Amino acid sequence: MPLESPILLKNIPTPPWGEFADRKTLSYDDYVKADGYKSLDQAIGMEPKDIVEIVKAAELRGRGGAGFPAGMKWSFLPPQDGGQRFLAINCDESEPATFKDQVLTEFDPHLIIEGIAICMKACQLDTAYYYIRGEYHHHRVIFENAIAEAYANGVFGENSRMGKVNERWPNLYLQRGAGAYICGEETALLESLEGKRGWPRIKPPFPAVAGAFGRPTIINNVETLSMVVPVLANGADWFKSMGVGRPEGAPPNVPASFGPKLFGISGPVQRPGVYEDNLGVTLKTLVEDHCKGMIPGKQFKAAFHGGISMGVLDTTEYEAEMDFDIGKKYNNLGLGTACATIIPHDVSMVAMARNCARFYSHESCGQCTPCREGGNWLYKMLTRIEAGDGTMKDLDLLLEIASSMGSMPGTTICGLADGANWAV
Amino acid sequence: MAWITKQSGTIQIDRRDEPYLTAEIRKDFESRMFPRYPDKQACTIPLLHAIQDLHNWLPYQAIEEAADFLGLPASTVLDTATFYEEFFLEPRGKYTIWVCQSVSCEIMGNTKLVEKLSEKLGIGPHETTEDGRFTLMNVECIGACGGAPCALVNHKLHENLTADNVEQILDGLD
Repeated sequence: MPLESPILLKNIPTPPWGEFADRKTLSYDDYVKADGYKSLDQAIGMEPKDIVEIVKAAELRGRGGAGFPAGMKWSFLPPQDGGQRFLAINCDESEPATFKDQVLTEFDPHLIIEGIAICMKACQLDTAYYYIRGEYHHHRVIFENAIAEAYANGVFGENSRMGKVNERWPNLYLQRGAGAYICGEETALLESLEGKRGWPRIKPPFPAVAGAFGRPTIINNVETLSMVVPVLANGADWFKSMGVGRPEGAPPNVPASFGPKLFGISGPVQRPGVYEDNLGVTLKTLVEDHCKGMIPGKQFKAAFHGGISMGVLDTTEYEAEMDFDIGKKYNNLGLGTACATIIPHDVSMVAMARNCARFYSHESCGQCTPCREGGNWLYKMLTRIEAGDGTMKDLDLLLEIASSMGSMPGTTICGLADGANWAV
Repeated sequence: MAWITKQSGTIQIDRRDEPYLTAEIRKDFESRMFPRYPDKQACTIPLLHAIQDLHNWLPYQAIEEAADFLGLPASTVLDTATFYEEFFLEPRGKYTIWVCQSVSCEIMGNTKLVEKLSEKLGIGPHETTEDGRFTLMNVECIGACGGAPCALVNHKLHENLTADNVEQILDGLD
């Protein structure tokens, strides 16, 4: 069933409810006029643990790529001990094909800020850092401005309407990245926040226990936190009435696909962009209805359906349901960011694999040998094959390198190597 | 490639008397930025951005000044600076053109764009024109896939580029 009305994009005109051309940034006053900050007022009157319970009951899963249940993540925090506790908001959004969080940041920054404030209250986190990728220049200016408005209207700072959180006045600061894909990995993001190279950390300890500056830290994606706002206003049951829910016969402890999701579609389609629909919408619907089909003369061949790290859907999988079970059903790495790049019939898959290999070899942080060295060799060999100089031996070698790089033998600290080797 | 490091022990530093880390930046960080974090090291990236925004690149002397200001060894700050693609440890052009080369942009024809730019400017990727006006960068996804192929010229995003309109954009710069 298609989504009846936009949820996250309520204030951001999007087909079929509105036109991209009518999008404009909502100021604090615009947002309040559109019933904004009501969920925060509601949260202020609640016990923190009750807010966490609602998010848990809604089974809201992280929208950044891993799909980890947000309420569960929040409940991993240790009890307060008098020291600082942090929230890091992940707006690094560097996964190729992904451009959903920038739409929220650019047009409805106060929705995100409200979600941040609710999370700070629920988890008793006193300081939040909005980690935005370095390349988002005009988004950064817009968000800085929105933060200033939020301070001026008593959301943060001294005499915040939330009162003291974790015995301190709550603060939200913007942190500007500087061009490194790996900083979207949660522990690399923390290292970068601390002023170091973006090198992922070995877990455990998990960030909820020892994160930024060695203190308890929650890291959530922009879309996840924004979704907390309508969930709190309308309740867990409302949220769970959308999406495809749990697969038939699955026990209740299996994470499911509830709620709407942002989908960013790019490539040779008539109207590329960021759309909202229920989890479980088919890729075909997204392309044919939302994006008005392929550009004349181009045919659908395949798609990177969740950023390039998640694998591809082939021509026969055009009608795949875009939900958290897509990995199991279609034998790929998962839903990822749910932002798809469409590959047309006249683009070579070898060229695409070469593009991905170059990306991973370039963006490897260099800590672990399999990823640092393997990525570069994959790129070199795929370049050679694309040029027509490949040998049959190259294929065996490609597979050998790829299988020693990752995808579950666990040879590296983070998942970048897993993302890199699937292409082969 | 963030992990490629260069020999820095024998580097000769061109020194000048006037500091790169100006009094205004110091004041701003002391009053506004330091209180944001539990320690000063966390200000490394914001401080490098502030210095680079002013001078357009990061000379080694500036790295030393930043380290001194933050109470860190210069090698620690250099270690961080060399990891990030946005920090330039060598002079660059007045305009830096960041052309995206990731999947959506490649499918939508970014190679023609790079060819056109290279031909017009007479430089390859990661090079700077002799008159110091343009630096051309081939970069990975800049997060504007809906408008592929796309590029940033300094801080301004340009979408749906073609060989023709990219030429107009360059001609429109002062």
